[in-house]
Amino acid sequence: MIAAIHFIDRLTSWFGRAFAWCILIMTFGVAYEVFSRYLFGAPTAWAFDLSYMMYGALFMMGGAYALATNAHVRGDFLYRLWSPRWQGRVEVVLYFIFFFPGVLALIFAGWKYAERSIRFTEVSVMSPAGMPIFQFKVLIVAAGVLLLLQGIAQVLRCLWAIRYNEWIGHDEDVEELEDVILREAREKGLGGGTPRN
Amino acid sequence: MTDPQIAILMLAIFILTIFLGFPVAFTLMAVAVIFGYYAYFDADRQWRGLDRLGEDATTTQYVGEYLGGFLNNRIFDLFVNQTYSVMSNDVLTAIPLFLFMGYIVERANIVTRLFDTLYVTAKRLPGAMAVAALATCALFATATGIIGAVVTLMGMLALPSMLKARYDVSFASGVICAGGCLGILIPPSIMLIVYAATSNVSIVQLYAGALIPGFLLAGLYMVYVVGRAALQPRLAPKPPESETEDLSYAEVTIRLATSFFPLAILILSVLGAILFGLATPSEAASLGALGGLVLAVAYRSLTWERLRESVYLTMKTSAMVCWMFVGAWTFASVFSYLGGEALIEEFVLGLDLTPIQFLIMAQVIIFILGWPLEWSEIIIIFVPIFLPLLPFFEIDPLFFGILIALNLQTSFLTPPMAMAAYYLKGVAPPGVELTQIFKGVMPFLVLIVTAMVLVYNFPGIYLWLPNAIYG
Repeated sequence: MIAAIHFIDRLTSWFGRAFAWCILIMTFGVAYEVFSRYLFGAPTAWAFDLSYMMYGALFMMGGAYALATNAHVRGDFLYRLWSPRWQGRVEVVLYFIFFFPGVLALIFAGWKYAERSIRFTEVSVMSPAGMPIFQFKVLIVAAGVLLLLQGIAQVLRCLWAIRYNEWIGHDEDVEELEDVILREAREKGLGGGTPRN
Repeated sequence: MTDPQIAILMLAIFILTIFLGFPVAFTLMAVAVIFGYYAYFDADRQWRGLDRLGEDATTTQYVGEYLGGFLNNRIFDLFVNQTYSVMSNDVLTAIPLFLFMGYIVERANIVTRLFDTLYVTAKRLPGAMAVAALATCALFATATGIIGAVVTLMGMLALPSMLKARYDVSFASGVICAGGCLGILIPPSIMLIVYAATSNVSIVQLYAGALIPGFLLAGLYMVYVVGRAALQPRLAPKPPESETEDLSYAEVTIRLATSFFPLAILILSVLGAILFGLATPSEAASLGALGGLVLAVAYRSLTWERLRESVYLTMKTSAMVCWMFVGAWTFASVFSYLGGEALIEEFVLGLDLTPIQFLIMAQVIIFILGWPLEWSEIIIIFVPIFLPLLPFFEIDPLFFGILIALNLQTSFLTPPMAMAAYYLKGVAPPGVELTQIFKGVMPFLVLIVTAMVLVYNFPGIYLWLPNAIYG
């Protein structure tokens, strides 16, 4: 079970992290547009399309990674008072009612949408460059599939938590700065524990 | 049950599920799809294919058409269209860029320099260290827009210094908590981008409108800190002459030029480019991110490791915010299609409120929602319930947004989910109690409410700048 969970984690994290680098392309691409417009008097035809494609790809493909690393917002003021066993019990039910229907709908609807777009190799009408856009629509399906996989891993995690009363973590290596500082402060014996997560 | 009642049921189920602690974005998606399936269910349309089958149709074709009918529901088209409109939204593109800028600046080893410099600069003022802490928090929070980091950083750095100088625990911790939250109000704030995308108010106008109220609040904080330190010197005793560095004006200027001005100029140029229409918010944000990278290189703090962290964290936080939009927009469409919006409208108008009563009610509800929920959930999910009501009371959505931004400052500062206070507690030296932090925060809550009242009574505070720039 642990092997399966970690395999899925690694897969979704790989995609998430790979697409995370879109932010660099986006930063440089959009900044280039500004320089080009003011310094060379030549606005680019592609920067606008590039900016939303990079942004869209970034967050869509990051959805599963964020789920794996527990980065999605949750109103956890009651949740965190429960034992892992009860958290798992409640969550496993919620996954089937409030996760899979939405994600399956996303894959199905996204596929219809993307397939239509691929059929006539759709290009963007937002800017004169006519950048192809069908691959961007395919990302909806890809993001849905990653979420579905991660959902399976999360259900397995719940089952583990129900059985052994502890959560299996993600072998995550980046943390928010405040979490790093809080952890270091705890190790130094400062604070009095942190109530968050 | 009538359709509008079902819409209310949908909202109730959703809220219940939030309270069970399930990730909000996916709950929204699933509830929207399930109730949307019911809302858009149309047997005639979905199984039209069956009628088209001729006499000679095989059983397989028949079964295929029959099963396919279940998937012909229009909710699927609605869902994917809303998803795509989030993916190609030109306001939201600024979010990852501003986040990236924030994460880079956060890791650029700026805070220590900034605090030390501002302290020697403000040395002659009463409560100099608190003044420096407040200014550092405000500037740093404005640049990063992320409250957790600045509060913990300052809690490690400024709080021990202030306590060592015999500052009052409550006073010192209140300053850090309140100052650290200013980043969600003062542009370029990410919260305002999210509000702009939700309310369709122009983000540029919103930034112009929020700038002076932001400075007003920061100014009120500053006046309070200086005033209180002057009136009650035992809260912030002046350190003995021997302990303070004695620097000439030239040295102070050099320090300011290397630590305070680069960051201040970076923020001002990003803002200026947006406000004067030289660049779109996304373009300005990408220049800001680039500037942040340059700053990090200049401070010799840009490592491969930090860049990687910033990139991944940018993605995680963007995913968190934007997936919520995917769910929320689908949810909102289904909710209003079922007539939920109209029902709420009817109900609220039936209460026969005056505009000011409505405004106070809305702000109180948002204030209370701020206890258990985070600002992102409040803005993306609950604020849209109020937005359609604004025209009836002739309330400017821009003004409403600025009030919310002021109001949500409190959600980080008041229990039970006072993020800023908990972060500070988490890094504070032993002996600093949560109750002391809350006590120190109280005066700032009063100042926040004062700022809201001022903005309401003197609309010029938020109208002047947009009018001056855009006419």
